[in-house]
Amino acid sequence: MNIVLTTLAAALAVGVPALATAWAQSRIGPAISASMAEKPELSTTAILLVAIPETMVILGFVVAVVILVRAG
Amino acid sequence: MIIAMAKLRILGPRERLEEVLRVLQDLSLIHLSSPEAAPLARVQLTTAQERERRHLASALDDVERALSALSVSEGSASALTSVTRADLAKWVWLASRLRRETERLAARTTALEEERALIMKYQQFFSAFRALLESETLWPNATAYHVLLRGGDTATIPQLRATLSTAIGEEFQLFSQPLPSGETAVLIVVSAQAAGRVERLLAEARVQEIPVPEAYGGKSLTAAIPRMLERLGEIPREREQIRARLRAQGREHGATLRTARAALNDRLRALDALPLTGVTTRAFVLEGWVPTSSRHRLDSGLGAVFGDDVVVSEVSREEWESEQAPVVLSNPRLLRPFETLVGLMPLPRYGSIDPTPFVAVFFPAFFGLMVGDVGYGVVLAALGLLLHARSRSGTTLRNVSEIIGPCALFSIIAGILFGELFGDLGRRWFGMRPLLFDRADALLPFLLLAVAIGVVHVLLGLILGVVSARRHPRQAMGRGISAVMVVLVIVGLLAAVDVLPRAFFTPAVTALLVAFPVLIVLEGLVAPIELLATLGNILSYARIMALGVASVMMAVVANKMVGAMGSVVVGVVFALLFHLVNFAIVMFSPTIHALRLHYVEFFGKFFSPGGVRYQPFGHWTRVPDRSRPASRNSRQAA
Repeated sequence: MNIVLTTLAAALAVGVPALATAWAQSRIGPAISASMAEKPELSTTAILLVAIPETMVILGFVVAVVILVRAG
Repeated sequence: MIIAMAKLRILGPRERLEEVLRVLQDLSLIHLSSPEAAPLARVQLTTAQERERRHLASALDDVERALSALSVSEGSASALTSVTRADLAKWVWLASRLRRETERLAARTTALEEERALIMKYQQFFSAFRALLESETLWPNATAYHVLLRGGDTATIPQLRATLSTAIGEEFQLFSQPLPSGETAVLIVVSAQAAGRVERLLAEARVQEIPVPEAYGGKSLTAAIPRMLERLGEIPREREQIRARLRAQGREHGATLRTARAALNDRLRALDALPLTGVTTRAFVLEGWVPTSSRHRLDSGLGAVFGDDVVVSEVSREEWESEQAPVVLSNPRLLRPFETLVGLMPLPRYGSIDPTPFVAVFFPAFFGLMVGDVGYGVVLAALGLLLHARSRSGTTLRNVSEIIGPCALFSIIAGILFGELFGDLGRRWFGMRPLLFDRADALLPFLLLAVAIGVVHVLLGLILGVVSARRHPRQAMGRGISAVMVVLVIVGLLAAVDVLPRAFFTPAVTALLVAFPVLIVLEGLVAPIELLATLGNILSYARIMALGVASVMMAVVANKMVGAMGSVVVGVVFALLFHLVNFAIVMFSPTIHALRLHYVEFFGKFFSPGGVRYQPFGHWTRVPDRSRPASRNSRQAA
């Protein structure tokens, strides 16, 4: 039972932020693409804006790793 | 680094102003700015100069359009020693004539394309109803309407049939045929008496009717088709003639147009420099910045032509603000390609820190840690060499190829440390062993390594922040205390988990409690929030570990495909494809995240954007290199 709960916790830790990241990027992507069509010099901002939500899934992944490592 | 600038003031007799500007343009050293000393009047362009400026701008537009239409924008210009008014007039006339001709040829090309598309449409229509249309002569009292319906519009046909029945009874025949393009061809044959009503109906229903153009001989499609097919053979020949004409014009006038572009730009720059001059009734004053190392070249250049007539003096440092001075970055040859990455951000302010040397060290290191594979590193190095061979010096592509070099080197070094060659292939085939740890298993050590790198990088940023705020002691002290508090938090945490001796814990916490109010006094209430954000920034470096693990896992999965597919050949093909996909991801994702770690986590601690680019007043070049002092240009403008 413990293994199931631990695995589920790790999956949720990475899965939920992954969905959140995907949703955020799906909103940012079209918006920044439209802005770049008007102002190509916004490319750096585009990189930053698209990469920022990925922090969520990366930290989620780290939490999942910690959960799995601590559970042995 | 940002090279030191000197602000200069040039004084001379007013009647020699244009001559001085010409020499300054040849020297291409000074970044002009409006003189601030009162009571100086600014030079206003005369009506004749304003008119000249308008004509030159219009001629330049013609030249650019002609160069673009003739596809001869790149290439050398004719050697230019002096430009006379007759030359300018000749170029203006030539540019105007060529622009008109290229526009006419472009319009003709478009018309030919449209004609070809129209004929193709009729050809499809004719093929669909060939038998019917060939019997057109058998129904002389009927009128034919040719209609094209878009793909998926077939539901319209029954509606059209019903509407026609209601309007004109049984005096029509409607045939439809799907076309290979997905559209549906519809032929409506109606009696001549009902033709007017049908035309109104089609117009009201906004159905796209394709009448046979008059150019092909009237109303009968059968009669028009042979002429159309004839034209289909003529059109490519006509288009080739137009291309040949454009090529010939490009060969004949390309060099002259490029020379004209340079000369017109030069003259426009000279006119634009005039309003930046301050004048009294007898004298003129020009002000601007010159790199300190180039000051003597400006002095000797002006001295050689004007002797004591023109005086150059340096404005003391106290009289100007750092924000006003233009910025030019200067880094050693090895680090220079990384200016491209820094250049994606706004230019740093004069007097602040140029982050290029730090980016040159940390960017390849982060990239290497995330890729961490000897095999991918070697492929990347080969890609970098290929790009280097295919690119020209000074271009962005060449800079990218030179950034790829250190990235590949760090990837190979990290690959040796982690014992990876195309994932676990090195271990299985060559007995490679990790020198540091195995990234696929040692997740926690890799995470600690990533966060430790984050601590070093963020602390370096905070220290650079203290250095860049050296002229503002309060701000510098606040940033310094933030850095110390970050160190104290880390020491306290390490002592709490017994990595450091427990004895460190109490002093670290006590020091934190003392530093906290001092930080609030110096930086305000927002400082504790910024401190927390800094700790969050450090945790953000965990992405190095996350992407590194993802990369190695993908490579391991690719290798496992060889044994999982039944057939070895199929397995190898799938494994190669998977490695290719992984390589593409490995190129893209670590680049984005390494950049983000620099732009957000690192630059946020010290970077001061808002610098003005150094643009020396000089002769026009095709790709102006505005980031460094221009070399002497020997061309003389009129």
